[in-house]
Amino acid sequence: MAHVRIIDLVAPALMGAFLLAAALATPARAQATDPVIAQARAAEQVGEQADGYLGIVPGAAVSADVRSHVDQINIRRRALYTRRAQQRSVSVNEMAAAVACEIFQSRIALGERYRDESGQWRQHSAAQAVTRPSFCPS
Amino acid sequence: MSVRAQVLAGLATAAVAGCVPVQIQAPDRPIEINLNVNIRQEVIVRLEHDAEDLLQQNRDLF
Repeated sequence: MAHVRIIDLVAPALMGAFLLAAALATPARAQATDPVIAQARAAEQVGEQADGYLGIVPGAAVSADVRSHVDQINIRRRALYTRRAQQRSVSVNEMAAAVACEIFQSRIALGERYRDESGQWRQHSAAQAVTRPSFCPS
Repeated sequence: MSVRAQVLAGLATAAVAGCVPVQIQAPDRPIEINLNVNIRQEVIVRLEHDAEDLLQQNRDLF
């Protein structure tokens, strides 16, 4: 019976190792940028806002699918901001603004639309760099 | 109601009661209550590392 018990011990360990390997392998896929959003950004339909959330460019003919993805991402962003804000004893808006500063610093690609802190939609072009919100550290 | 408003209200009541002939000057501006809704830059500076961390850890959302 002893060897059966050893197998009983080894099998879960092997299974655990397998699951760990699988878990380590999958995030790369799960963490990939949302292709629907990436396409909508490139099409100048969707852009980053100074409040830390995605927005839909006024007048853009976006599909229900894009709209739904924007909503889902914003809901999940808000959950992220809320959790981290509680950990740091700051407001959710402040946490969101801090993320917006990072996004506006380097993550708005050329040609993409973005909404500044006054609510105005702009476009990142070679001639015009992204205008960062005034609350961002210089 | 702010402390200042409460004090003013209290003094006004006392004046109305007629015990002390005190002239109360009404504030010429509404009393401002700072709800702290503005983004504080020093907080943003402090959160810079957290913000970068959130972006790195949640690439599917950004």
